[in-house]
Amino acid sequence: MRAYPGRTAVDGASFALPSGGITCLLGPSGSGKSTLLRLIAGLEPVDAGEIRIRGQTVAAPAMTAAPEHRGVGLVFQDNALFPHLNVSANVGFGLAAMAANTRRARVAALLDRFHIAHLADAWPHMLSGGEQQRVAIARALARAPSLLLLDEPFSGLDGHLRDAVRDALLADLRAAGTSVLIVTHDPEEAMMIADNLILMAAGRIVQTGRPEDCYHQPVSIAAARLLGDVAVIDAVVTNGIADTALGAIQADGIPDGAATLAVRPGAIVASSTGVTATVSATRFAGHHYIVEAFAADQYFTIQLPGKPPANGEQMTLAIRHDAHALIVRDGD
Amino acid sequence: MALTTVATLRRPVPSSLASLAALAGLAVALPLIGVLLAAFGTDTADIAGRDIARYALTSVWLALLVGCLTAVAGTTAAWLVVMHRFPGRGVFAWALALPLATPAFALAYGYADLFDVAGSLRIWLRDTTGHDLPFEMRSIGGAAFILSAAFYPYVYLAMRAAFLNQSVNVLEAARMLGCGGGQALWRVALPMARPALAAGVALAVMETLADYGAVQFLSVQTLTTGVVRAWSVYGSTVSAARFALPLLAAAALLLWIERASRQGATHETGKARWRTIDVQPLAGVRRWLAFGFCLSLLMAGLLLPVGWLIWNLAQTTPDWERLVSATRNSLLLGFAGALVTVALATMLALGTRRLPIAARIASLGYATPGAVMAIGLLAPAGLIWNLAPGSGTAVAIVLLVLAYAARLMAAALEPIDAGLARVTPSMRHAARTLGRDEAGAAFAVDLPVARGALLTALLIIFIDVLKELPATLILRPFDFDTLAVIANNYALDERLGQAGLPSLLIVALSLPAVIWLTRRIATARPGD
Repeated sequence: MRAYPGRTAVDGASFALPSGGITCLLGPSGSGKSTLLRLIAGLEPVDAGEIRIRGQTVAAPAMTAAPEHRGVGLVFQDNALFPHLNVSANVGFGLAAMAANTRRARVAALLDRFHIAHLADAWPHMLSGGEQQRVAIARALARAPSLLLLDEPFSGLDGHLRDAVRDALLADLRAAGTSVLIVTHDPEEAMMIADNLILMAAGRIVQTGRPEDCYHQPVSIAAARLLGDVAVIDAVVTNGIADTALGAIQADGIPDGAATLAVRPGAIVASSTGVTATVSATRFAGHHYIVEAFAADQYFTIQLPGKPPANGEQMTLAIRHDAHALIVRDGD
Repeated sequence: MALTTVATLRRPVPSSLASLAALAGLAVALPLIGVLLAAFGTDTADIAGRDIARYALTSVWLALLVGCLTAVAGTTAAWLVVMHRFPGRGVFAWALALPLATPAFALAYGYADLFDVAGSLRIWLRDTTGHDLPFEMRSIGGAAFILSAAFYPYVYLAMRAAFLNQSVNVLEAARMLGCGGGQALWRVALPMARPALAAGVALAVMETLADYGAVQFLSVQTLTTGVVRAWSVYGSTVSAARFALPLLAAAALLLWIERASRQGATHETGKARWRTIDVQPLAGVRRWLAFGFCLSLLMAGLLLPVGWLIWNLAQTTPDWERLVSATRNSLLLGFAGALVTVALATMLALGTRRLPIAARIASLGYATPGAVMAIGLLAPAGLIWNLAPGSGTAVAIVLLVLAYAARLMAAALEPIDAGLARVTPSMRHAARTLGRDEAGAAFAVDLPVARGALLTALLIIFIDVLKELPATLILRPFDFDTLAVIANNYALDERLGQAGLPSLLIVALSLPAVIWLTRRIATARPGD
């Protein structure tokens, strides 16, 4: 737990990080993910709770292991390259205790692995954003940390370059074999790159698990929303089938009785039979339209492949009976 | 193959950088506390409160006059140079700061001699025109003129930086809304630069209150002359300390003004993208008026008095032996003072994030006249001299360097802080996660990144120490003369020709450093 005057930044953040692979820490802005990263790195003390790395306690209330003794690498959002050192010296910064020739060899190997050997003598201000990031990652890996932390590593990249740069970088990171924890606020990105997800909201860990599991089996509506839009519908469940205003839907494992369901936007479609809805807004989104329609006392957001009806016109909505209800919310 | 040692859990210890900053802050606080203890001690003083009030009134008048004159002269010069094109603009941009190389007492010697009632200029004027010049340099007005000529660069540099940093968009917006060039100055640029004006004028006033050599020579009795005379003539530390009290209060007040104005500075729209200002060419008579104004400032602050001193050199036979030893002493103190002050200021700058109070104390030291610092160090000095009588010279020099450091720490702190601002928190944190402890990160990242700023700070302090007079007079070891001290001694004996050479040597030693600094400032873009 970490509290600042007036607010608690991180609380109830219990999780175990799997060894190896890439884990994404996903949450909206201000959810405490960067604070969590700084707690792990040792840049801030914990007010309650405990952090262990490889079984060894590195932080507890009023006790802390200095960041330089934790064996954790951190890549900052702004890369934080040292402006007075060239690329080789930046990468070799953490290897001061090594003999000069061993250090040179290790730096050369890292520059090779991240395809920046041709930049060895360049200065940070001469590099592009992507190159700076590769230097920062090579620098963080130089000390062979047991865990590498990356803070929003892809937020600074341009849209069309982003995927290519990211895929190349992740391949190199996986090849390095270190456990990686990436902080991001972009759900699509997180699901695409992570072996494991940690979902965080308002300073708390909401859910952890494989991306597919988190997407299809969220533990709460809040967890479901972290990974994408959901529509929330009232329903009555009987024998694993939920009856809603828009039709019936699979509700395996959900007990009988009144329930609140969440469904992904793709589960609601325009249909010849179903509920009549009034279109209240339409937006063009490239390969589909996003339509907001009012039916059965609530608004639904659906995706339509073709041209939608104009505002104020009527259409018929139904729920795909092969779609799965995500979760139940009893009572409230 | 983890390189890290086994992580050891421990309670967070007080930061080593904060401890160093506390030490540096203590170096400044020591003389300040010394003055207060002496002033409120049990010893009786031979100075009447009425005398202090009389001296204080003179100081106030002088400060007001110099404040107004430097504000007008410095602002006008900065506005002309930044916003307009006229002959000599490129040279004036940096040359207008050159009077920083001349000690105020050198200007006083030059002007007093040039306009002396029995001087050749006035005799010639009386003979040819039948009229005398309607002013007298040895007066409060003359002193105000001379100190303004010496200190206007503080306002000029502050305003120049402020005008350069102003968003061009805001000035263009003013023009789109119907403001002409002059109106843009009054209604937009000047109100936006008000924090810089207050800071620059506060500096000029601080220097005015701290000046001893010029006002003493011109027989204008200010609080600082009171401090030095109470000590040198009456040998009374208590009296000197009581003269110093109003100066300490004034220092605190000026500091408050400067601080309050800086808070306004953070609201400036300085975040706007930097673009070259569209310089307005001046036409016809106006370009020559602008040229004449800048030239006359440079004449008043440097060329005229220094030229007169050089002209007079021909009639004197210098005492070379004395000059050489004084030059050696000045350089020794200049280097030692610069190194110690910059080292302490660096400690302070690195630790200020953890210990903000230390920087405040340092600023108070800068606003405090050197004479007051010296008086504050006399009590600890006496203690050491009593304990170890043989240690006279060495201890005196250490104390003198400490007095310089206490007085000038804030002047070194400013460029160092600016240099360290290039180091982002994430760079420091990166160094930590890469295996350096707090002090190690400071050495490996902060100091190398700020090395240009450290050199700037060294030069600034070196120049200031060369020009320093009152603290040196009070704390120097017996028979240890600096250039400023022998200039002052000659001048008090009315041997102005002899006083000229050591003054000119100070100018000659400072000028290269001042030129380097001002040209660096003149070519620097905001954000560099």
